[in-house]
Amino acid sequence: MSAHPHASLALFLLVAVGFPLAALMVARLWFRFFQPARPGATKQDVYECGVAPTGDSWIQFKAHYYLYALLFLVFDVEVLFLLPFAVAFTGLPAGALVAMLAFMLLLAEGLVWAWHRGHLDWS
Amino acid sequence: MNAGLSEYLVLSGLLFALGFFGVLLRKNTLVIYMCLELMLVASTLALVAFSRFNGALDGHVFVFFILTVAAAEVAVGLAIIVALFRKRQTVMVDELNHLKN
Amino acid sequence: MNIDYSLFFRAMQPESLLIEAALAIIILDLTVMRRKDLSARLNVASLVGALAVALAAVLALRNGAMGEILNGVLNLDTLAVATRVGVLGLTLLVLGIGTGGARIRNPAEYVVIVLCAAVGFMLMASAQQLLLVFLALELASLSLYVLAGFDKSRPESAEAGLKYFLFGGMAAAFLLFGFSLLYGLTGTLDLPGMSVVMAATGFHPMLAVAMVMILVGFGYKAAAAPFHLWAPDAYQGAPAPAAAFIASASKLAGFVLFTRLLWGSASQGQMLGATPGWVPVVWLLAGASMLVGNLAALAQSNVRRLLAYSAIAHAGALLLGVIASGRSGPGPLFFYLTTYGIATAGAFGVFHVLENQGGAQKLKDLAGLHRRSPLLAGCLMVFILSLAGVPPLSGFFGKFAVFAAALSPAGLGSPTGWLAVFAIAMSAVGLYYYLLILKEALVRPAAAGATAVKVPAAAALTLVAAAGLTLIFGMFPSLLLRWF
Repeated sequence: MSAHPHASLALFLLVAVGFPLAALMVARLWFRFFQPARPGATKQDVYECGVAPTGDSWIQFKAHYYLYALLFLVFDVEVLFLLPFAVAFTGLPAGALVAMLAFMLLLAEGLVWAWHRGHLDWS
Repeated sequence: MNAGLSEYLVLSGLLFALGFFGVLLRKNTLVIYMCLELMLVASTLALVAFSRFNGALDGHVFVFFILTVAAAEVAVGLAIIVALFRKRQTVMVDELNHLKN
Repeated sequence: MNIDYSLFFRAMQPESLLIEAALAIIILDLTVMRRKDLSARLNVASLVGALAVALAAVLALRNGAMGEILNGVLNLDTLAVATRVGVLGLTLLVLGIGTGGARIRNPAEYVVIVLCAAVGFMLMASAQQLLLVFLALELASLSLYVLAGFDKSRPESAEAGLKYFLFGGMAAAFLLFGFSLLYGLTGTLDLPGMSVVMAATGFHPMLAVAMVMILVGFGYKAAAAPFHLWAPDAYQGAPAPAAAFIASASKLAGFVLFTRLLWGSASQGQMLGATPGWVPVVWLLAGASMLVGNLAALAQSNVRRLLAYSAIAHAGALLLGVIASGRSGPGPLFFYLTTYGIATAGAFGVFHVLENQGGAQKLKDLAGLHRRSPLLAGCLMVFILSLAGVPPLSGFFGKFAVFAAALSPAGLGSPTGWLAVFAIAMSAVGLYYYLLILKEALVRPAAAGATAVKVPAAAALTLVAAAGLTLIFGMFPSLLLRWF
């Protein structure tokens, strides 16, 4: 049998779906035959571990953190342009280097601005 | 089994439609915003597929720039949503009705 | 592929000057102006920005029409040069009316973003390749979203920014999908190359889909009915200078880009304009915009919303100009766009001055303006009458040129001619609500306890200059039209 090059992927998929389904099925059967239904306040808790949970599990993140994500994103995307530039570097004229330096200067200016305005301070 | 150009186009059309209906039907601005990004991604997929099947690189280059623009949109969009949330304590579109005649 | 970088850098002189000015403004604000109060910081930033904009306009004029740059990615033809200068003039106007109000918390950043938007508009004016078209559009749009939501002291501003952002983002997605289909059909991103391929292959059903997507995208951006829903909210909630920018410079650059996409430049063959079916669609958009805009404006009691609906009506007339410019060239359309931009930005400037001294959102807040500030009342009269299309102001001549261009090929023998007649009828409706504004400002006595309005010097100078231009272009339209 000449297997398709991606046949192993199909097998993986089968196992990946089948294994948890089988486990869930066993749990279901166990519940059906051996476990009595006794609902209660403790059972409905977020963590059923004996310690009473404090507060809500839906807590809010500080919205302040998204600034760091944005700054990260800027430099993440910068690489997208730097990498092809670096690969083709030896064949490029000087003008391309000037253009790329201008691009990086603009990004650096953004970082300096955020720094000076105090957006990078943890508080 | 090799996917042809039409399969890619159908998928990208489906993604675009999904995003569009999400924008129309959802009430949470963050979810609407994700649907907008889905629409952009659909066009990206179409561009890459066309570029691959035309045998030219310019479509791939276009995609680089779309990713950058999408990142910039994330920055601006999230900033506006956060600014609004600080004023109103809500992100639902039904409650954004202060602008009236 | 050989790229002439020195030619490219020379062609980009105006744009790079604006970006350098933006960097300089930020550095100045972070160092020298750090301890100063808000209005001083705003004035210094605006001054540096205005100087750079004026210098950029001189550079753009001196470089003149340079032809194709970067293997045809940019095309600096006469229309592009005229639009660049027009955009810079409108930017100067927006910067001028923005001074004096110290409500903005980050004045330097405000000026910087205005400059970024101006760069986007200038690139839109000269882009001749889909990638650059998209990038320029997004640079301009993203800057405008930020400007619309800039005033953090009012929740309406953030709401306006969000609505503008959501609708604009959807428009961008539609445009992009249309662009990718166009690319797939023709195998190239260059507009001239596309027109060659399209002329050779003829009609394809996917072309129709691409066309509809692009029209929907531009319809949203231009606030044409039925895609106009964001406009009243954005115009009402945004800070007045931002609303002026959205209504003036973005219209100018956007419609020039749209015309270029549909009809190509003079030297090349027709673009999408040759596709069967798009003229009727644009025709419908234009008719619907004029109807919806003019009728809805009658019911408004908020001046900003009224101007927004009038902008929708004007977008309809501008779409008529886009159809007509396939035959007559872009001259009439450009004239209409420029004069409309000056008048509407000026009107927003008057409202901005009033709002800084106790709100002026309602029509009746304008009562007795002729007593409280004769200067503002006079300027407002010029702008509103120009928007209404009353001779001898420039708005009249803009309408006249566009309608004449639409009627000249076949008179009433073509649907375009009939649309022009409809547009003239709708202008008569428009006269009514424009006169409502003037009745409040010029006839109605001031409310008890109303005080005189103090107009900041820079804003006064800008408004008088804008009113003067509106008069001069109306009496000597050849000043603008001789470029084409």
